Amino acid sequence: MIAVLGLVVGVVAGLLVRPEVPAAVEPYLPIAVVAALDAVFGGLRAMLDGIFDDKVFVVSFLSNVVVAALIVFLGDELGVGAQLSTGVVVVLGIRIFSNAAAIRRHVFQA
Amino acid sequence: MSNHDETPENRLRRELPEEVRASARGAVNAPETVDLPGGGPAELTGRQRLAKSLWPPRVSRAQLIVALLLSGLGFGLAVQVASNSDSDTALRGARQEDLVRILDELDDRTQRLEDEKQGLEKQRAELENSSNQAEEARRQTVEKEGQLGILAGTVAARGPGITITIDDTKGTVEANMLLDAIQELRAAGAEAMQVNGVRVVAGTYLSDAGDAVGVDGNKIKAPYRLKVIGKPQDLEPALNIPGGVVQTLEKEQATVTIERSDKIVVDALRAAKQPDYARSSSR
Repeated sequence: MIAVLGLVVGVVAGLLVRPEVPAAVEPYLPIAVVAALDAVFGGLRAMLDGIFDDKVFVVSFLSNVVVAALIVFLGDELGVGAQLSTGVVVVLGIRIFSNAAAIRRHVFQA
Repeated sequence: MSNHDETPENRLRRELPEEVRASARGAVNAPETVDLPGGGPAELTGRQRLAKSLWPPRVSRAQLIVALLLSGLGFGLAVQVASNSDSDTALRGARQEDLVRILDELDDRTQRLEDEKQGLEKQRAELENSSNQAEEARRQTVEKEGQLGILAGTVAARGPGITITIDDTKGTVEANMLLDAIQELRAAGAEAMQVNGVRVVAGTYLSDAGDAVGVDGNKIKAPYRLKVIGKPQDLEPALNIPGGVVQTLEKEQATVTIERSDKIVVDALRAAKQPDYARSSSR
């Protein structure tokens, strides 16, 4: 519950503050958000499975974000930033879908 | 990532039997589990775990950390969505290839428009040029009309020149003497002249008519007044040369008076006459 409240607070704060995204961070923010979403879905699934561990969640969340940003950064440096971003988003999307399927099985028993 | 990768693997391996078990148990023991919510964690279904974690709220370290991370995620999400949606240009989300293609198209279009502009400017320059030429041609035509009109006697002329008055009391001046005077003046560069109100042009003829002189059929009588436009310094000596017009006339006892003037007006006109047979060969 506290976690859901945290998410709501974050969204409200982002909408209210509306900070200007720094140009250096701009290409990485969307990928980082998708990676974090992946970690959150993974965490939710782990919770439903009853094996949720906050340490694992924190580490996977942060490492997901960092690695995703790193891949995009590397892609930009190599000149294939757009393709690599697409690849990362596809991979993360697949994982999110599989996690979401597991969550669905738990929640709806179907 | 490695942590996370490991989790689904474990999950996958464990999931099927567990899930089968859970669903089988759910089918059989569902009322029991609902009756006993405080049962061991292994006996809870996912749905029950979700409901339990949602309500009542518990403040624990794990919840706080997850809340912190999720607020970070929500913040980033909102910022990204806001910065994406309030971008006024549609090009912002476009891919690089699309941008390159759009840029190429714009370049092509610019080039085409530039070519068109150059063509139109050239056309405009030509039109202005031709209009200038037409204007020039018209001006030259007007000028030429004036010059030819002076020659043909259809327009009045003015300018420096001389006035010759031949007073003939004895009636001895004849047409040939006037003709001599006129020829002499022409040779001296007279450009327009009239005698007693009759314009003298190239086709003018003189004839004797008793005590008068016929000029183009008009009878004029003494005193004869010739108004001549030309260079006075040339015209006057031409008449006064020894054995010339003035001496000849004075020998016939006529009085000749010559006056120079800066402003002679030759205003006798002739009607323009279309030639019957001669045609311009330039057409």
